[in-house]
Amino acid sequence: MNNIDIELVSVSKSFAGIPVVKDLNLKIPQGEFVSILGPSGCGKTTTLNMIAGFNTPSAGDIRVRGKSQNRVPPERRNLGLVFQNYALFPHMTVAENVGFGLRMRGTSRSDIAVAVDAALRSVRLDGLAARYPKALSGGQQQRVALARAIAPRPSVLLLDEPLSNLDLKLREAMRIELKEIQEQLGMTFVYVTHDQEEAMAMSDRIVVMWQGVIAQQGEPVSIYRNPATRFVADFIGRSNILPVKARNGGPGFLDLLVDGTPIVLRSSHTGRSTSVASCCIRPESIALMTDPAIQAGLQNRLDGVIKRIVNLGAQLELLVEISGGLNLTVLVRSGLSGRVPELASTVTLGIDPQEVLVLSD
Amino acid sequence: MSHVLTFLFWLAIVLVLTFITLPLLVVVAASFSPTSAVTFVPWEWTFDWYGDLLADRWLQPFLLSVKIATLVAIISGVLGVLAAYAIVYERVPGSDALMAGLLSPLSVPQIVKGVAIVLFLSIIGLQGFLGTPALIAAHVVLALPFVTRMAATSLANFDGNLDRAAQSLGASKRQRLQHIVLPMIKPGVLSGVTLAFIISFNNIPLSVFLVRPGDTTLPITVINYLEYSLDPVMAAVNVASMAFILTVIFLFEKIGGFSAQLHGGSK
Repeated sequence: MNNIDIELVSVSKSFAGIPVVKDLNLKIPQGEFVSILGPSGCGKTTTLNMIAGFNTPSAGDIRVRGKSQNRVPPERRNLGLVFQNYALFPHMTVAENVGFGLRMRGTSRSDIAVAVDAALRSVRLDGLAARYPKALSGGQQQRVALARAIAPRPSVLLLDEPLSNLDLKLREAMRIELKEIQEQLGMTFVYVTHDQEEAMAMSDRIVVMWQGVIAQQGEPVSIYRNPATRFVADFIGRSNILPVKARNGGPGFLDLLVDGTPIVLRSSHTGRSTSVASCCIRPESIALMTDPAIQAGLQNRLDGVIKRIVNLGAQLELLVEISGGLNLTVLVRSGLSGRVPELASTVTLGIDPQEVLVLSD
Repeated sequence: MSHVLTFLFWLAIVLVLTFITLPLLVVVAASFSPTSAVTFVPWEWTFDWYGDLLADRWLQPFLLSVKIATLVAIISGVLGVLAAYAIVYERVPGSDALMAGLLSPLSVPQIVKGVAIVLFLSIIGLQGFLGTPALIAAHVVLALPFVTRMAATSLANFDGNLDRAAQSLGASKRQRLQHIVLPMIKPGVLSGVTLAFIISFNNIPLSVFLVRPGDTTLPITVINYLEYSLDPVMAAVNVASMAFILTVIFLFEKIGGFSAQLHGGSK
């Protein structure tokens, strides 16, 4: 079942001597929705362009279904491509746009008509075939771009930030739809984005890139639950990143480095790394100890003062200063026990050792 | 206050338009003059002068001008697109210098160019080339900067992602040129070509050196005629060629030239 569709073997790319992608190794199995996620300048778009064939790797090999692509021009790679600015052909109707790929391959008129119909139906745009792109909304244009890319049935679809020009509501709706389309077609999607929420929502697997290398890859949940490095913890989701040191006293304990006496933290993850420099605690995994009896399992207790309260609607975001001047961001449900925390009041925070994640730098 | 400003604004517009169109209107009116003096009497007019235009004396130069202008438009259109393609799209080595070279004829006065071309042809012993072939070549040199520049601008505004999208859809280079690049730059190229036609059709300072006696273009014939006589035929000739040029512009606009370019869209 899991044949490898795309394989990058020690791929590097430099522009004018400046390395942008460094010794990248990546396997993308058939039918997976893989997101390449990272901040701008991390090399993700360069990687996509190398897979598409618009950039030639400085070193290494790109293989599609086992065949090296280094000498194959982009038009012979049989990969679909969706651009951030849609890149629809303005002088062609929607149907002509969608049929373009098949027309270039010399497919017969009637076969093109059938394929165009199917592609437009799968993106729910049937009925707009005779329009010109100019007469469509941004969301519709993006669907046309998607239909155009899938109409020739490429083995892999490459998407370069395809949703970032849409407004938030539409973007969220399109996430779900994109995922559905991908599952229906069973096509491999390689999705480049800087939006971690987008990547979390759609992907089977996320490849986090930073400074030209893969910082971490895995399922969205595992990346969120177990960020490997400080960068990943910071980039994916929200987090409190605290400077710590492994404790001489043995595994299971960390010293939180503050100005005064070190604070001892229990963590279930200390065994994993030898050079511990920081730990990550997600804001939603910190509890307010309003009822100590219920929260007995939370072995880490920290006292602090609420410095700021931001009402996010469903949640309250608290900024709590604990001893040593360290600030922790805490997310609690708004309706929690009907009691609203007060500004400047003293609270006790409870943290499960499971939730104290250890990071290497 | 704002009423005064609005009034002045419209007054300025009307004055400018009047200044531009009044001489044309006078010429149009004069072409209907009932006497052989260039006058205008609103209740007495005649089409006779236009009848004179069908005489060989005017018809031959007109046809020659149309022939030359058409060939100039086609040749400079093809060369201009090729040059712009090499310079902007392929970015061949030294493309900036190439562009500067192609635009350089603009900086030489036409009269100097005319003299230079005559001298050049005499020196290399190609006097026989004077007349229509020399006119075509000279007009192409004159029109090429405009065509190249307009094609280059269209190409520079061309979204490279369109090309990449077509490529990812399996289009070869030839297919991309045919189906994507050329249709996209068509408005710019067509306006360049229209301009080349007009430049050639109306040219005097360069043509005056290159025509053969008895085989002259329309503007040169007009100049020659003016030296000896001034009568309403002149006005009729001018009105007719004005109408012709407007028709040409209209036709090119119909196939997606000027206005599309001016309004910044394709269709």
